[in-house]
Amino acid sequence: MTDLQANTELLTKLNGLAAGLFLLTAFGMIAMRQVLACLKLFVWQSILLAASATILGFQHSSVHLFVVAVITVGTKSILIPWLLVRLVSQEAYARREISQVLNIPTSLLLGMALVILAYFASSPLLGASQDPFVRMNLPVGTAGVLLGAYAVVVRREAVPQVIGLLAMENGSFLAGICIAPDLPIIAELAAAFDVLIIALVMGLLTRRIRERTGMTVVGKLASLKED
Amino acid sequence: MELLVVLLVPALSAILCVLPIGGGLAALSTVVGCLAVFLISIHVALTTITRGHVIAFPGWISCDSFGALILLLVAFVGLTTSIFSLGYIRRVVPQEREGKKRRYYARFNLFLLSMLAVPAFSHLALVWIAVELTTLLSVFLVSFEDTSEALEAAWKYVVLTCMGAALALVGILILYWGMKIAGRGDFTWSGLIVASPDIPGPFLQTAFLFILVGFGTKVGLVPVHTWLPDAHSQAPSPVCALLSGIETTTVLYTIIRLLPALQGLSHGPGSWLMAAGLASAGTAAFLLLQVKDYKRLFAFSTVEHMGIIMFAAGIGGTSAYYGANLQMVAHSVTKAFCFLAAGSTLLVVGHREIASVKGLIRVSRPAALALLTGSLAIAGAPPFAVFLGEFSILKAGIQSGQEIPTVALAAFIVIGFCGVMYHVNRMVFGPPDEEEAKVRLPGSVLVALGISAIPVFLLGGYVPGILEEMLRLAAASLGR
Amino acid sequence: MTEKILFNVVQVLVVMLVSPLVKGVLNRLKEAVQSKRGPSIFQPYRDIWKLFHKDEVISDSATWIFRLTPYVVFITPVFVALLIPVLTGYPLFFAFMGDMLGGGFILALGGFFATLAAVDAANPYGAMGASRTRMVGFLAEPVFMIVFFTVSFVAGSTIPYIVHKHWVNPPDNFFEPSHVLLMLAFLMLIIAEAGRLPVDNPSGHFELAMIDESKGLEYSGRGAALMKWGASMKFLVLVCIYLNVVVTPWGLAQGESLGELLLAIPLVFLKVFVFVVVLVVIESSLAKLRLFRITEFLGGAFITSVAAMITRLLEG
Repeated sequence: MTDLQANTELLTKLNGLAAGLFLLTAFGMIAMRQVLACLKLFVWQSILLAASATILGFQHSSVHLFVVAVITVGTKSILIPWLLVRLVSQEAYARREISQVLNIPTSLLLGMALVILAYFASSPLLGASQDPFVRMNLPVGTAGVLLGAYAVVVRREAVPQVIGLLAMENGSFLAGICIAPDLPIIAELAAAFDVLIIALVMGLLTRRIRERTGMTVVGKLASLKED
Repeated sequence: MELLVVLLVPALSAILCVLPIGGGLAALSTVVGCLAVFLISIHVALTTITRGHVIAFPGWISCDSFGALILLLVAFVGLTTSIFSLGYIRRVVPQEREGKKRRYYARFNLFLLSMLAVPAFSHLALVWIAVELTTLLSVFLVSFEDTSEALEAAWKYVVLTCMGAALALVGILILYWGMKIAGRGDFTWSGLIVASPDIPGPFLQTAFLFILVGFGTKVGLVPVHTWLPDAHSQAPSPVCALLSGIETTTVLYTIIRLLPALQGLSHGPGSWLMAAGLASAGTAAFLLLQVKDYKRLFAFSTVEHMGIIMFAAGIGGTSAYYGANLQMVAHSVTKAFCFLAAGSTLLVVGHREIASVKGLIRVSRPAALALLTGSLAIAGAPPFAVFLGEFSILKAGIQSGQEIPTVALAAFIVIGFCGVMYHVNRMVFGPPDEEEAKVRLPGSVLVALGISAIPVFLLGGYVPGILEEMLRLAAASLGR
Repeated sequence: MTEKILFNVVQVLVVMLVSPLVKGVLNRLKEAVQSKRGPSIFQPYRDIWKLFHKDEVISDSATWIFRLTPYVVFITPVFVALLIPVLTGYPLFFAFMGDMLGGGFILALGGFFATLAAVDAANPYGAMGASRTRMVGFLAEPVFMIVFFTVSFVAGSTIPYIVHKHWVNPPDNFFEPSHVLLMLAFLMLIIAEAGRLPVDNPSGHFELAMIDESKGLEYSGRGAALMKWGASMKFLVLVCIYLNVVVTPWGLAQGESLGELLLAIPLVFLKVFVFVVVLVVIESSLAKLRLFRITEFLGGAFITSVAAMITRLLEG
């Protein structure tokens, strides 16, 4: 019994570490100027998501979560980066500066505000559960969703916007693996497939935009608006 | 079983479309497929009336009468737009670009498939995926014309709606968690209603807000509507008809379906929906006054109508739900008709600017008539379907004691009416700048206009018994 | 009691004597990474020795501040060395005179005088460097605060001896997520505060790009020796706080015998050596940030420590 408890204790800590680093990568995607660095951070974030899933899999002794971890690593940290690099020209990744709408320190402060918002949004739900994993993953996951959304809003380059979107999905999955660990495997597979299609579609669209306008700074496309 | 066939037919036509054989095969298989889907949908609808529901896979793929209503709408609009596409695409795409045409039809079928899947699926996780797919499979339809504006519109569309979908995913997962805490039932629409009394209030509340904002982005709620006028105006006209007529409706359907599960809440979702609806209708009504592009005009009108339907769903009560459903049906068929009319106008005049179209009636009588009827119908003039829907919504609003918001909504509807009619009047009548040669529209375009006009006129005077029964059942299923 | 006072004195002496060596090792390793031979690791001792034997030239316009500053810069790290665990795992005589916040303030006092002196000498580069140092300082200050708050929030105290016990007792605490994040935040802060890459290039000789170094340009002879020595002591003290309190709270003398104390010296030096190697890797792989990007670097440290605080909060 004490052995089991100690085990849970350790898994909780490890999961907390993964979640903390996850939050850090989410912030990093706002702060990084290089497109390639953004992509690398996304890979790391996906690996951390998979790590959290594995830890939860040990905790709940569920093969299902291991499968989720494998799918996550396979699609999000191998297939999607490969796709994005293949589809969008190298030139976009070599670019150092991303023209952001707000400067980075302001972004980081706003990001903090979003994290606090996520905490308050999820706190009424935490009352229903004493599970330490949920207490960690749900707020961090929600924060990941909000930070990803923020990255999409402030970034002007196409690829970081795609990565922001995928990071939003990562955030919801981080929350998902602990609040819905027994979601049917078909739904998980479909979701992974869906994420893959997002990357494919948006990568192709970016390529088309580049062919047509000669740039990937989608924030500069602003011919359609109300006058 | 019928539901599986409904889903398989468009998939099959999509495969046929990409096969590089014959010139007309893609178009033909699309139209035939859509016809088959429409006929089977009627069958599904009839079955749901007699038996209550149609089940393909229990807990995964099934639909009740509300779902069947949406399925029928999708199938009908799919049929008319596929016929319209025949003539439209032949005119727009050069003869030698065979591959481009085939790609168009393949994507058309896939898009239709994803929209048919939304009402046909009953497992919430699958519904989410279907909604996400409606975006992803229609992106390249929006960017079909390959201009930088179309690409910009497509980018905005995919980015904003995918953001919305990610937010909605959190909501869906929270609902799933709530169901687990409640400890029973499948994760389906009906299972959710059964379990809802045992799901803690904060779960339902938070999940609802996430889903409202998330899917609301896709519906075009103010202030996350900005992509809608862009995407709905830049896409080829038949695709606009699909996007505006049914894509928004199917997503709105998923939001409204949550309502019966939320009725135990102390701060009900009604006020949220009413506020969101009123804001959308109001903003869109004023934006309608200043548009310069007639396809954008109809796109803003979509935002307005989504607001109206949402408002109706927010009022609550069977008569308001009935009004909401009627308005959904009326808006779908009318808006699809409007965009087909706008597409015909585009074929005739060649550009989308309102200011430089004058005296359309002298250039092409069918296009002008269609545009005029469509605008009158969508603006809510009396003998048409939308008028009936709006009237029943306003009546329900007054009856339930929400006088002030209802009066505000009525004012917005009037402003919207003025906005639409002001622009369309100038386009249709008035002296043309110079004497222009008459342009003939392709036969299939005329046929599509004719078919899609039928319900616009018909539903204004009289709702067929079967449809009436379906609307009643759907309204009842919302009221729990 | 007398023993504790004695140990405290030993501790200060170790800091004073070892600190130039640490600097020497660091410089040598950096050169070695760049495939050069580099100066002897004892070069800083020779520099200091040489400077002590040279005449001191002081500008006519300089005031007493300029004269006093080398002593302040030299003495403040000595004071801090009295407060923190350098060799022993238990509090020594002066340990409760100040917590980590106090130590930070004392070090800031040295920095403050150095800045004043740089302006005082009326050398244009001095004022430029001073204003830049202040800029980095102003930006680092809130981060320092939040890091200390996080430490005290996690460990329940700001007294370094209590904090460093917290991580190892029980040992699970060491793997706490907030602790790992805190290590990262603290490291970034140390880099900024000690003027290392990517914030400042300590081996640059281009006055326009200097941040920290240009403050001492006007000093010669004994003043320069004291400034150099003080700077290397400050670095060692910061590293000791980082290593002994936050990262590796092991290897310190636990018993009150002289033997254990003497054993702790090589162990601590080993830890510092490992840290120096890590620092060399960091410095060799990063380019210096543009001046206005330093905000982002420190913003990163800030966010990291806030993330540490949040994970701690969520653990409940």
